[in-house]
Amino acid sequence: MDKLPNRFAPYDDRTQPAFKVEGYKETITRVPMQGFYKRPATLTEVTGPLNLARKLDADLSDLSRAKGGGRDGKDGARAMGQLIFVTGRLLDEDGSPVRNSIIEVWHANSAGRYIHKMDAGSPFPEDPNFFGSGRCLTDHEGRYQYISIKPGAYPVPNHPQRWWRPPHIHLSIFGSGFMSRLVTQMFFPGDPLNAQDRILNSVPDPKGRERMISRPIPMMELPRADVVGFAHDIVVRGSRATPMGI
Amino acid sequence: MGKFVPTPSCTVGPFFPAHYFGPNDNDLTVTSNAAGASSKRAQGTKIYIAGTIYEADRVPRWNSIVEFWQADASGHFAHPNDPESSKADPDFMGWGRRASEDDGYYDFITVKPGGYKDPLTGLVRAPHINVSIMGSGLMRRLVTTFFFPDEPANAGDPVFNAIPDAKVRERIILKPAKFPRAPADALCYRLDIVLQGEDETPFFLD
Repeated sequence: MDKLPNRFAPYDDRTQPAFKVEGYKETITRVPMQGFYKRPATLTEVTGPLNLARKLDADLSDLSRAKGGGRDGKDGARAMGQLIFVTGRLLDEDGSPVRNSIIEVWHANSAGRYIHKMDAGSPFPEDPNFFGSGRCLTDHEGRYQYISIKPGAYPVPNHPQRWWRPPHIHLSIFGSGFMSRLVTQMFFPGDPLNAQDRILNSVPDPKGRERMISRPIPMMELPRADVVGFAHDIVVRGSRATPMGI
Repeated sequence: MGKFVPTPSCTVGPFFPAHYFGPNDNDLTVTSNAAGASSKRAQGTKIYIAGTIYEADRVPRWNSIVEFWQADASGHFAHPNDPESSKADPDFMGWGRRASEDDGYYDFITVKPGGYKDPLTGLVRAPHINVSIMGSGLMRRLVTTFFFPDEPANAGDPVFNAIPDAKVRERIILKPAKFPRAPADALCYRLDIVLQGEDETPFFLD
């Protein structure tokens, strides 16, 4: 048992979002009512796909240009909006780097519209040069980076209590195993809409909410002059240090 | 506990990009999405699993993101946590993904996973598939496990038996079925996933 490197504890509910969120009506009809069964972690839970790049294209780290979107298969013209550079490290609960993990990144365009049939009713324009999604791979230090344009805010459609989603970036992370799978969102520091976002504020612990908000990177530390930089470390479940007993 | 706290989960939302899905993402028997790729097929018995996802009041739920994770046909994982990872089938990745269609339909092609003796608990795991469901309205993913019918090992499986009520356990046993869209050479099973309701699918604490 001691030879097994990764252990997983149940999530602490204070640091995770509530299942039901006031004003977010989809949580009413889609969340199970009959509770959750506690089960032991076995090999199927502590393993996961480590070679997904065989099947998924992980080399899509510039979302500001639609890959293959231009003529002759060349990269497309640049999307409208403020160029951003986002970087950080993917870590486990010991602070160890999670290497070679795919991170999927998607978000609205600079006007607040998604490339998705679910957003066909959006009042905001599409951007023919914005594809809206990419992927990158963490390196030996767990570091990832991507270029994109800053997403716009948008009002949540068809809700009786109207509210805005602040600019945010969706992240889907595989980590080291089934139990480290994480889907989350990254927010921007200092945005006035953060304080009223029902999704960000569904996490009870203020420190938990802070873990979803990126930090500005000083301009002198950026690799190029045309981007605004944001740093965002992500921690996925999993620990090598302490037996978890589950 | 480790010294770092996991980043909060958040809903996948309604806008998970359609172009994230490759043509073979829900076919676990192949390891490539490239057109005309001649990758070797995974070893084992080919199976087809399909069903409908429902939210409350049996309303079909489309645009749910469903992921499979399972052992290969001999019960091994290509992962360092498996002490026998060297025996894992190199032509099997164990992972697949699919968005449910407009009528809630989802389907996967895979191989029947092998059972194994679990090195963590010492208990025997019956053949099973771990399933994650993500979507708008789900702030955290939902996780359940599919089991196979007529498997003697189900009786001793620690996850299957984490559900005390036999009637509830029955809801995560695959049922032999026929589907017009299934490959001709696959054994077919149905399992409907009910997110909320009287006959709700049992989900595990994640």
